[in-house]
Amino acid sequence: MTTTCGYCGVGCRLETHVRGGRIASITPALDGPANLGHTCLKGRFAHGFTRSPDRLTTPLIREQGELRPASWGEALARVVAELERVKRDHGADAVAGLASSRATNEDCYAMQRLIRAAVGTNNIDNCSRVCHSPTSFAMRKSFGLSGATGSFSDIDHAEVALLLGVNPTQGHPVVGARIKQAALRGCKLITIDPRRIELADYGAIHLAPRPGTNAAVVLGLCHVVRRDGFVDEGFVAARTEGYDVLAELLESYDPAAVEEITGIPAAELEAAAHLYAEAGSASLLWGLGVTEHKYGSEVVQLLCNLAMMTGKVGKPGSALLPLRGQNNVQGSSDMGALPDTYTAYRSVEDEQVALSFEAEWGVPLSRHKGMKIPEMFDAAIAGELKAMYIFGEDVAQTDPDIAHVAAALEGLEFLVCQEIFLNETTNYADVVLPASAFLEKEGTFTNAERRFQVVEPALDPPGEAKTDFEIITTVSRALGHEMGWETPWDALDEIARLTPEYAGVSHERLGRGGLQWPVRADGSDSPTLYDTTFDRPGGRGHFAPLPYKPPGDAADEEFPLVLVTGRVLQHYNAGTMTRRTANADLVDRDLLEIHPVDAARLWIADGDRVSVRSRVGRTEIEARITERIEPGHVFTSFHFPETRTNLLIGQSADVNTSCPEYKVVAVDVRPIAEQPAFSPALGTTT
Amino acid sequence: MSTVTVDGVEVEVAPGATVLEAARAAGRWVPTVCFDERQAPFGACRVCLVGIEGSPKPLPACTTPCREGMTIATEDATARRVAGAVVELVLSELPEAPAPHTELAQVAARLGVEETRWPGTVHQTDEDFRHPYLALRHELCISCGRCVRACDEVQGAFALTATGRGFEANITAGLDAGFEDSTCVSCGACADTCPTDAITEIRLLPQSTEEGWK
Repeated sequence: MTTTCGYCGVGCRLETHVRGGRIASITPALDGPANLGHTCLKGRFAHGFTRSPDRLTTPLIREQGELRPASWGEALARVVAELERVKRDHGADAVAGLASSRATNEDCYAMQRLIRAAVGTNNIDNCSRVCHSPTSFAMRKSFGLSGATGSFSDIDHAEVALLLGVNPTQGHPVVGARIKQAALRGCKLITIDPRRIELADYGAIHLAPRPGTNAAVVLGLCHVVRRDGFVDEGFVAARTEGYDVLAELLESYDPAAVEEITGIPAAELEAAAHLYAEAGSASLLWGLGVTEHKYGSEVVQLLCNLAMMTGKVGKPGSALLPLRGQNNVQGSSDMGALPDTYTAYRSVEDEQVALSFEAEWGVPLSRHKGMKIPEMFDAAIAGELKAMYIFGEDVAQTDPDIAHVAAALEGLEFLVCQEIFLNETTNYADVVLPASAFLEKEGTFTNAERRFQVVEPALDPPGEAKTDFEIITTVSRALGHEMGWETPWDALDEIARLTPEYAGVSHERLGRGGLQWPVRADGSDSPTLYDTTFDRPGGRGHFAPLPYKPPGDAADEEFPLVLVTGRVLQHYNAGTMTRRTANADLVDRDLLEIHPVDAARLWIADGDRVSVRSRVGRTEIEARITERIEPGHVFTSFHFPETRTNLLIGQSADVNTSCPEYKVVAVDVRPIAEQPAFSPALGTTT
Repeated sequence: MSTVTVDGVEVEVAPGATVLEAARAAGRWVPTVCFDERQAPFGACRVCLVGIEGSPKPLPACTTPCREGMTIATEDATARRVAGAVVELVLSELPEAPAPHTELAQVAARLGVEETRWPGTVHQTDEDFRHPYLALRHELCISCGRCVRACDEVQGAFALTATGRGFEANITAGLDAGFEDSTCVSCGACADTCPTDAITEIRLLPQSTEEGWK
């Protein structure tokens, strides 16, 4: 059986080999367009979690504080009774649902239909809120469509690749390997990251800005491009609007001013700008190091500016490629599992669009935007949100300020979780529904290059667990809204019927290679966007004149170091899957990376447990001394629940999309045995 | 594009295409051992020999570029005899026949090589099961170099190296420190390409029990 990997957003095609009802082995599909016969240790080896002894195999209901096994009939009756009660007593807007970026397009589409049509509210969101919602917002503003402008194959043709806030050899290993191979063949890399990432060792230039200063870096690059005459005047005149206002703003970002803000030596910034601008083709790649900031969405708009100024968009080798975190970050949002949009980012306030969905679903639909995830938690604490249906997301581990999240979940009258394992969030659940992993479901995922790819089940869900698609459609039926689908392919047909951008998508047409949206009715797809026109009114790309603004947090005397969080190769986000495989034998804990200079000053030795305290929380992590990180900064991952990394993260979030600022947190680090009063004096270092 | 004839069938091939690519485009089978389409042609094993009109001797299909008007015979008698002898020599060094699902076993079967006429010294058992996923059984290594090239050209981890000469030739992970203490990123590309299971998934070995699976 050939399927699509359920780990990161690269979208590797995998061959599954089953023996005796379990996966014996997984090998990469030789014809996978994103992976070309390769995959990483997560896709290839980390499948054992599917038959882990602690998989949820029966519904659970909370009774006298404890979760106990229950039948499907009993669990569904409880879910329906509670959701209907809350709706009757407090209105439909007192209910909210979360779809999952790990689930299929059809699961996410069904989930948003459940919340919109069966419950009657737009309070639906998905976990891309906390990762790439800024990318989606910004690319729609600048270019028109929410997705990469090209394909991973552009990496193979690029003379230069500029990587900002992304560490592909850890987070997106197969694309990381592809970039490394391109670099070995002569593609020049510009890496920009507070940490010296592995690809920096293979690159031409590495810039290490202070966390939270990406905007100044990109404005500085644009300044040099303009100052030194590298603007593609023809492209700017014919294809774009708003350049003059940007040009005026760029005046104040000369390399010396940018060095002041970012710490990047002026000469290095100039060299990077020249390398990018002089290349015949150059691609831009970014990740959560760009988006998970207070002004993350604005930095993506600034990157779009840089590409448009130099005419490096919509051409072979010149693509903008956001590397999506989870396997279906792209698709879960494409499918309308968002509080303000239906499929393909069409507003819930758009009368024509709403009417088309009302006609298909046969129910009246709300024209008011719903709540984003952080707003849901605030509303729960305020007593306005009473019930949540959370599907495939461990918000109590992965969302910021988890003390706040816990208070919100505690405050709900009813919480149903649809999960494959018990987790931090199910501690607050009244009902837990046992669901399925990617190796047990069928449907489609959409990877980071906008490619719909087929997912085929290799296994049945264990015990009484069911596929997410079956659970959601069953709950909807019990709530009185029959979706009328037998299989996920029926849902995909409905998506295609109601969404012009996906008009030509069908199970048969996707075949082994998938299709990159927009897919026209005749089935032709779009590996490259914007080769002749942008998808905005008038067809012109928009230059956003956005100045640098400081991040939401900054080091000070009490919290002198800046913490950046991220992931490591061997594990995946909350670790729910990878911690239940032998990947945990390779890496069994989160580590706090700290520069030798800081470590010496704080009397910290490699391997010491240290206390990490931020303005909102405190946790303990083992220190790892490394020169990959700059003095003044520390780094850790968030794969192990016992680390509780997200206790440290505050409420600061992207101004446009509420994506949390996971990447800039001022912290105080000290050895655990040390009493604060006797610790060495701490100077401000950033 | 240029046109070549493979076993009497004309095929069009792209500029720079190899004879192996032309043969495959024509739907013809050519035995290979050191070839993997994910890697640059290596031309080490000499099993993919084919007859080419005008050439005094068979040529390796994987490294020979097509020329306009070339006439290729995939079942050339000399080529097949030499390829069979090469496979037979390779098998003669192994302490046991490679598992039937491996590429080497399948090539041997298709070439009609059943057992070797040259019994002699065979590799001694030398196993490394330290890594949670990857098993290394040096005695099955035939020094085709595919794992080393997968590590270099596909992943870019540079964790594997060829060592030794002649009969002693083998591969080593991380200067003999094993996979775990090398620059290995556990991607498994080496196990995926290995034609003999010298590197394989530890869970696929017969001695790996159900309970031991993770």
